[in-house]
Amino acid sequence: MGADPDEELVRRIGAGDPAAVQTMVARKLPRILALAARMLGDAAEAEDVAQETFVRIWRHASGWRQGQARFDTWIHRVALNLCYDRLRRRREWTTDELPEVADEALLPDATPGDEERRVNQALQRIAPRQREAIVLVYYQELSNIEAAGAMQISVDALESLLARGRRSLQAMLVRGDGDD
Amino acid sequence: MAENPFEGPMDAGRFAALADAYGGALHRWPAAEQAAAILFAETDEGRAILAHASRLDTVLDRHRVKAPSPTLYGAIVSGAVTSVRQKRRRRFWWLGFGLAGVGLAGAVAGLALITVVTPDPAADHYVMDANATSFGDAGPDADQVEEDL
Repeated sequence: MGADPDEELVRRIGAGDPAAVQTMVARKLPRILALAARMLGDAAEAEDVAQETFVRIWRHASGWRQGQARFDTWIHRVALNLCYDRLRRRREWTTDELPEVADEALLPDATPGDEERRVNQALQRIAPRQREAIVLVYYQELSNIEAAGAMQISVDALESLLARGRRSLQAMLVRGDGDD
Repeated sequence: MAENPFEGPMDAGRFAALADAYGGALHRWPAAEQAAAILFAETDEGRAILAHASRLDTVLDRHRVKAPSPTLYGAIVSGAVTSVRQKRRRRFWWLGFGLAGVGLAGAVAGLALITVVTPDPAADHYVMDANATSFGDAGPDADQVEEDL
């Protein structure tokens, strides 16, 4: 693993540099907000998660030392944990076991301009761990090793979650895919 | 195995498995397998696999998240200022407690030193006698009374 591109910025934040705070927010807020919005499917809750993630960044910046994970991977893990707290609070699950089988019925065609809602609906229907894998690799463009690190699983397990998640999304979103 | 990429040219099975997992854009594929994947992507089979995976990618790309509002940006930045202030205040209090602790420790050490170095002043003026009682040194007087009788 090379040098962490955020390390110097984190050090400056730990030293109380206000310019570094602004740079960090500008650099990371869009990514954290997008991650939370896709995990939760709710813009308001995503904003709350983004705020809470930054509170943790400010709290831990002075003690941050690069270990095995980059700072960006660490904040992804923090944001994901906050998302899971909210998903649990919603009582989406009756037990701690994550649902593995999604309702893969094809979603109705979207009217123009409504495709985003349709994709959001499909993302919320797949198992949270599959959604997490897809959000990290596809939307956040983390490398397979970084995503597996953030999810604390092996790369093989990550690929399995990705493939199962994409298969479910394909069935829900791509018409005529079953004929392929 | 994913963490130990295949040596040499990529086969159709592995190429399809990677497309299943990572989609049709090769830049998202594992870095260690990209060179072999680029070569396979130029074959008819490779093109067909990528075209199939890209159909889902096109749909997924329609999901966009709005840019953060200036209000959210401002709230997070001001939260950082508050956090830094609280941390400084906490550091100040801990510094205060630390200084008070050092002062107290110094006072105790000083008192102990004075007690050890300075002898007890009362010891020069009072010698314990075998005849002494708690009511005073009554011994010789008592003997005298007996002789007088």
